[in-house]
Amino acid sequence: MPDDVAGKIISMLAAIKHVPAAGITLESSLQEMGIDSLDTFTLLFDLENEFHITIPDEEAKSIRTVNDVVEGVKKLIAAGAGSSVDSSMSAD
Amino acid sequence: MPGRRVAVTGLGVICALGKNTSEMYSALRAGRPGISPLQLVDPTKLRFQNGAEVQGFDPGEHFPGSLQDHLDRFAQFSVVAARQAVQDSGIPLSGELREKTVIATGSCVGGQATQDIGFVDLYQRGRGRVHPLTIPKVMGNAGAGHISMEFGITGPAFNVSTACSSSNHAIGQAFHMIRSGMAEAAIAGGGEAPFSLGLLKAWEAMRVISPDTCRPFSKNRLGMILGEGAGMLVLEPLDAARSRGAKIYGEVVGFGMSADAHHLTAPSALGAASAMRRALNDAGISPDQIGYINAHGTGTAANDPTESRAIRDVFGAHADRLAVSSTKSMHGHGLGAAGALEAIATFLALREGYLPPTANYQEPDPECDLDYVPNEARPAQVQWALSNSFAFGGLNAVLAFRTNPR
Repeated sequence: MPDDVAGKIISMLAAIKHVPAAGITLESSLQEMGIDSLDTFTLLFDLENEFHITIPDEEAKSIRTVNDVVEGVKKLIAAGAGSSVDSSMSAD
Repeated sequence: MPGRRVAVTGLGVICALGKNTSEMYSALRAGRPGISPLQLVDPTKLRFQNGAEVQGFDPGEHFPGSLQDHLDRFAQFSVVAARQAVQDSGIPLSGELREKTVIATGSCVGGQATQDIGFVDLYQRGRGRVHPLTIPKVMGNAGAGHISMEFGITGPAFNVSTACSSSNHAIGQAFHMIRSGMAEAAIAGGGEAPFSLGLLKAWEAMRVISPDTCRPFSKNRLGMILGEGAGMLVLEPLDAARSRGAKIYGEVVGFGMSADAHHLTAPSALGAASAMRRALNDAGISPDQIGYINAHGTGTAANDPTESRAIRDVFGAHADRLAVSSTKSMHGHGLGAAGALEAIATFLALREGYLPPTANYQEPDPECDLDYVPNEARPAQVQWALSNSFAFGGLNAVLAFRTNPR
């Protein structure tokens, strides 16, 4: 059963691909979902905004499955890698 | 002129007058403008309220999944029009032909709405990030790139950005490339979607947008009405079109370009006349052969009398025997798409034996003293036509057509 972080990420992927979230699991492969490089840019942008994290380029390159994304995001949240730029500028 | 004859074998369009050529033709034939209150932008923040918007466009109907989010509205229109034009032409875009097909698009402002959203996020909402697809959606050549991927076309592909002349320049370049033997087919035209608050405020500041509607050449004209959409034409050598039994709307026969070298925004009759003369020379036809001119006809105080003077200068006494109309009165000013929309309006109407009218015409202006086909489409058998585009920057592009009545 996906937890809160996983649920948000699955909803995000569903919105990016305009498909129902019900068809996406933690085991789903991003490539098989048709997530191309442009979709990946959008995903990283949405993740950074949603979870107030900054995803290093190296981390971004290693994601293959939905679970990779979830685990990577959780690690960054735990590390408190919130963006100082974003928090200083945030008005919303 | 030396070189091959260039046929127009496919047309595709989406604009305020309809989402295909038959809808557009019906509106042109009825003299029915597609100008209505703005829906894409909040008009309470503007001094003008009307535009010529594409109605009821759902990108999801045309682009599956995330693809719809990869294209700004102007590029979506461009691809939709290109699909229609290719299908209409029946051209077999396969094998070697795809390597020898040109894609030439015109777009003046590219993905304005996308850029506006990104900058609102940054400057107004205080966000530290701009959406990562901003660059590939904003770039003016996005339409050309997506069209190439759509059809697997690997030949020369480019976008021309010469403000309101963009798509005439694009169609003209494609025409010359086929005529000279550099290419065997072309998808040429333009796309534009200028309805973002930022851009409309910039237009407002120039004080050229009408507070109500667009009345080209009418004494009580109050300015232009912005429009959006895309138009694409399939061009190919006339011999090739005939040998495959293609439907032939007519031919592009000439192309003339000039620069005013005068003023960034004020039009010049000399530059306009020069571009018309060069188009006629390029076509190898005399002025008195022309029966119709699709005018630049923006409906601004400056353009309409200047263009009328330029036409008198080029055509002399024949200016009183030819018809001139501005279809911008119906589909609005499509900026970088204007020339493409107007080329299509010209072929659609003349092929059916009608001159497209200047809608909203109310009052003769002594400074605009030509036959502007006021308000009602007029039956006429016209074979040779010009289509004028005169851009800010003083960059002019005029196409000459030979139409093929049905």
